[in-house]
Amino acid sequence: MELAWPVFVAAFLASAVEFVEAFTIVLVVGITINWRSSVLGALLAAATLAVIVATLGVALVTYVPIVILRLVVGIILILFGLKWLKKAVLRYSKHKALHDEEAIYEEKVAELKARGESIQRVDTFGTVLSYKAVLLEGLEVAFIVITFGSSAVTNTCSSACGIGSATIGAILAGILVILLGALVRAPLTKVPENTLKFVVGLMLTTFGTFWAGEGFGITWPFSDAFLFVLLAIYLLTSFILIMALSQHKQRQLAAPASDSMVKPQEVRR
Amino acid sequence: MKVIKAIYNFFVGDMIILIGVAIAVILLALINTINALSPLRGTVEAIIFIAAVIISLTTTLIREVMG
Repeated sequence: MELAWPVFVAAFLASAVEFVEAFTIVLVVGITINWRSSVLGALLAAATLAVIVATLGVALVTYVPIVILRLVVGIILILFGLKWLKKAVLRYSKHKALHDEEAIYEEKVAELKARGESIQRVDTFGTVLSYKAVLLEGLEVAFIVITFGSSAVTNTCSSACGIGSATIGAILAGILVILLGALVRAPLTKVPENTLKFVVGLMLTTFGTFWAGEGFGITWPFSDAFLFVLLAIYLLTSFILIMALSQHKQRQLAAPASDSMVKPQEVRR
Repeated sequence: MKVIKAIYNFFVGDMIILIGVAIAVILLALINTINALSPLRGTVEAIIFIAAVIISLTTTLIREVMG
């Protein structure tokens, strides 16, 4: 089977972010309650996700015309992408604290230890917590796989090739995150999550604009190569926004200091 | 209501982004359906779409920063 590389890379990066978040919770439940509950919850969620992907994925590709699919998927990807891009820009410009997986990990551990539970049998709370985390984050992964895969249909890549490429990307991301997590035995605090989110936000917005445009009948110059032009436009815009917002933040921080320097002079007058 | 809010938060969670993209989609739909606007189809349409996405992002960031 031919691999659609842009779809593979996009699905890999987007899924990696979601897997890191889900894995943090699974790890916390495993350490604080027990591994049996944690793994059971994660496996149940994985099974639920498999059913969702198998039914929704096939139905979408079989019954919906590709133009409509590209339009709807493109719009949804733009919404997803802008949401992530907004958060990443706010974090880079120091208007929002960096999404700290370590802090989330410590907070969850403290919360679970406060419950005073350390048992070996399957614990409902632990299983549900693990299930909920994996299902919610996994749903986003499933969504990315289905939408990316089904919209990537070209003359050289069928819908099976698109979904296959996206699935391989997501599976590899999952395996990599689990392996890394098992190796470091910590919630992957070393992964620069904001950078990953920024890149994924850019990619989702780029693909979304491209596909939604095609859905409206726009013929992009240079065909698929225009994806790089779109990426450059959004990257440049993001950098300008980060610089402008950083300067605004610095002015905000400097304002109280200059106020306190001015006030004594005003008093003397 | 809870379900609608959960779906909204799952997909976007930001009203300005949602409205911005919705306006862009309506504009493009109008350009593609109204004959009088047919000269805008193609390059101008693409520029309008990209600009709308950028304006949506900029507006929501400005609102966030200004409080």
